[in-house]
Amino acid sequence: MSQKTVTQAALRWLDDPEVFRVNEIPAHSDHQFFKNQDEVNQHQSSFVQSLNGDWRFAYAQDPMSRQKDFYQADFDSSNFDTIRVPGLIEFAGYHKIKYINTLYPWEGKIFRRPAYTMGPDQDGAGMFSEGKDNHVGQYVKKFTLAPALQHHQVRIRFEGVQTAMYAWLNGHFLGYAEDSFTPHEFDLTPYLVDGENTLAVAVFNRSTASFLEDQDMFRFFGIFRDVSLIAQPAVHLEDLSIKPTVNDDFQSGRLTVDAQFNGQQAGTVAHLNVTDAAGHQVYESSQKADGDVRLADTPLESIHLWDHDNPYLYQLTITLTDQAGQPLEIVPYQFGFRRIEINQAKVITLNGQRLIIKGVNRHEWDAKSGRVVTMADMQADIATFKKNHINAVRTCHYPDHLAWYRLCDVNGIYMMAENNLESHGTWQKLGDVEPSDNVPGSLPQWRAAVLDRAKNNYETFKNHTSILFWSLGNESYAGDDIEAMNQYYKQTDPSRLVHYEGVFHNPKYKATISDVESRMYATPTEIEDYLKHDPQKPFLLCEYMHDMGNSIGGMKSYMDLLDKYPMYQGGFIWDFIDQAIEVKDEVTGQKVLRYGGDFDDRVSDYEFSGDGLMFADRTEKPAMQEVRYYYGKY
Amino acid sequence: MVNTKQLRVVYGDGTLGVGGDDFHYIFSYSRGGLESLVIGGKEWLYREPKPTFWRATTDNDRGNGFSKKSIQWLGADMFIDVKSIDIKVNGQLIEFPKPPLNNQYSDHETAAQVEISYHYQTLTIPQTTVDVTYSVTPDSALQIKVHYAGKKGLPELPVFGMRFIMPTKAVSYQYNGLSGETYPDRMAGGIPGTYQVAGLPVTKYLVPEDNGVHMQTNWVTVTRQSTKDNSDASTVPFSLKFEKLTGPFAFSALPYTAEELENATHIEELPLPRRTVVSILGAVRGVGGIDSWGADVEPQYHIPADQDIDFGFVIKRG
Repeated sequence: MSQKTVTQAALRWLDDPEVFRVNEIPAHSDHQFFKNQDEVNQHQSSFVQSLNGDWRFAYAQDPMSRQKDFYQADFDSSNFDTIRVPGLIEFAGYHKIKYINTLYPWEGKIFRRPAYTMGPDQDGAGMFSEGKDNHVGQYVKKFTLAPALQHHQVRIRFEGVQTAMYAWLNGHFLGYAEDSFTPHEFDLTPYLVDGENTLAVAVFNRSTASFLEDQDMFRFFGIFRDVSLIAQPAVHLEDLSIKPTVNDDFQSGRLTVDAQFNGQQAGTVAHLNVTDAAGHQVYESSQKADGDVRLADTPLESIHLWDHDNPYLYQLTITLTDQAGQPLEIVPYQFGFRRIEINQAKVITLNGQRLIIKGVNRHEWDAKSGRVVTMADMQADIATFKKNHINAVRTCHYPDHLAWYRLCDVNGIYMMAENNLESHGTWQKLGDVEPSDNVPGSLPQWRAAVLDRAKNNYETFKNHTSILFWSLGNESYAGDDIEAMNQYYKQTDPSRLVHYEGVFHNPKYKATISDVESRMYATPTEIEDYLKHDPQKPFLLCEYMHDMGNSIGGMKSYMDLLDKYPMYQGGFIWDFIDQAIEVKDEVTGQKVLRYGGDFDDRVSDYEFSGDGLMFADRTEKPAMQEVRYYYGKY
Repeated sequence: MVNTKQLRVVYGDGTLGVGGDDFHYIFSYSRGGLESLVIGGKEWLYREPKPTFWRATTDNDRGNGFSKKSIQWLGADMFIDVKSIDIKVNGQLIEFPKPPLNNQYSDHETAAQVEISYHYQTLTIPQTTVDVTYSVTPDSALQIKVHYAGKKGLPELPVFGMRFIMPTKAVSYQYNGLSGETYPDRMAGGIPGTYQVAGLPVTKYLVPEDNGVHMQTNWVTVTRQSTKDNSDASTVPFSLKFEKLTGPFAFSALPYTAEELENATHIEELPLPRRTVVSILGAVRGVGGIDSWGADVEPQYHIPADQDIDFGFVIKRG
């Protein structure tokens, strides 16, 4: 890391949009690594020690009343409660469940304007660090390093923490992170001790990140995804970039693989092996594993293409061996060849064929645990997709659980991988477009934060074949900052398309934001109007067919457009699953599903939380048969 | 085959009774409809069937303001006036047998066919009329024809049909029509067939709303196994069948009226299910789906109030 390590935490970071990551290990590819082939086969890496489970916990109403020394190595946390990690603080009963759509969760209680929107000297000092509504979860976890992790470099990975977190190990400050839905890693190595270690994490409900995370959803906070200790061997594949490209004949291609190795050890070799789905070797190479290495850059005469109907994946394996030829680590990764582009007729094609998106928006949801989803939830959702001919998903409006991307690769689900960004509360006011306090807008102080989100999204998920589109976020208006995000993706990843809908509301950025014309809830007539009048970009609906309650009437009019206009590429139904929470009814004792406003949460948007094709208990709504019919027909 | 059997007709002081071997129907003069429908000793009616105009507001109805525009039909659904009643025996209109006029009849009156028409007047502004004509034949078949008189100046209808409320909760229903819950603008995915539905499921939309409509139905058979009759402890299932007359109809079979659904904000607030509400529908408004905050249902799936609606069906033993 080139950045200097920061050794002291500062609460004022919560107020400062220019501070969003401190001491974090840079985002990198999501590959797993294993000690040997047995571990690969069992999907169990001895380099990883899960910290999931019971943690000590204390809840504070606001930053002022938190226990300020709780992170000290000698702090006595014996009077703390116990909380489950991963889990949401609301579901543990400490904090009121709250749902609201566009308005910020402090609406009617605290007046806030994002820093610098009302002037260059309005820096928002104290807005969150002294926020009376900035609840704090203080977590303590004691652990002893498993033998397999000892004597290695060790990092900690938080896969999802909302909204802003500080971490310490044995009293030493580890770092600070925002961007609730991408992994955060901190190096533990300098601070680890033999025997028991004490990890302390303070999670704040609010920070400047709250302005960027105004998604229409239940507003939760806490450590809601897995936490792991990860050891790395003396030489370790830190980042992997697989670039399979398809030639114009759609029969041959090229495979480029770049690796970035951490650590040095004489005689360490990286063996790359690629096999096809039948297990036949396609390519192999061996090179010295030292720093940045191109492991492959080879033409392939005959390739199988990946698509929804035939999600053909190749198996790539990188094996690092030491001087004696013993494996240091093995990295398996599956990838496919596919080509997404916009052709001369301004039609999006996949492998040369017009792309038809039969998609859904999918929030991560489990009625029993909110945004904490299980592998079973994800597998069930994939099964539902396949059964109902859903071929595409938009990860609305944040990156999902790591496993979801791999499931989409394997099952041929086209992904629109969206950044964690939504700020409609800063420009949608009482039905008007009123962007006077919009963030990120064109404010320089907010640019790095949103670029960091773009980078986290790209670097983590770049190797997933299923991702056809990067999406800059949802309903955040448009300005120089989102334009910079667009530019980042175009420069970093010319192999995919960039999507953003919000430019519709600020058309002066149309030339520089989004490869596609995207709308939400446009009527069939409005869409035709666009397509009949010299359309400049292919059209898709990032949200359509709002399935709130008894809905999904009139789908035919949208599907007919597919027959009439090649540049109409389909869309993503809003949305996949109702956001409702299972509780015990206080009157009957029955298990029931509750929505916004049912928890005395005010201000709320009530039943607007539930717009799914699925009920919150993952049973299908009756409308699903209509979706199955039309999505099966095209 | 010529049916040689005759209907037994009872020209009562407040009702017209029409019966046969194991069925008996009683048409009330004062209560505005069919008060009793007994087949095989089992009563099928809790209250008189009436025209129905309202559907419990869907989220899209709320979002686009349709419920407010059509609010008159909620009142019309709850309360309705009978303006007049006509009776035909063997095709001949008879003078209404109001006492003492019915003194001319005996205790062994018969007929080959009896028809009774209720002429309803809606409590809307402006008012319009609905005619419901029941025709009974000796095979026990009860044919029902419904006519809505279109009237300019009335808001579009949420739904139009006849609502039957049965005394106890059905254990199942079977129908021949389209799979699943369908609406005029959401029925392409419905697969024609015969379907058995256990219980009287209410689709568990977060906010209770209109649900359970089945379009393009040829027949539906409702099965119960209990009655309110204190002298009848039998649990042997018994059924009633609604069959198409000319074209297919739509229906829903739920334990609740539209008003009961309308009143709840959560499914657990609905009353304990204890009755069966069967709505046989001649016109259904689409549910829409473009958005839930203003977009209207597509025009071809509206029910204009200024055009006549006619439909019919036959009730038979199940």
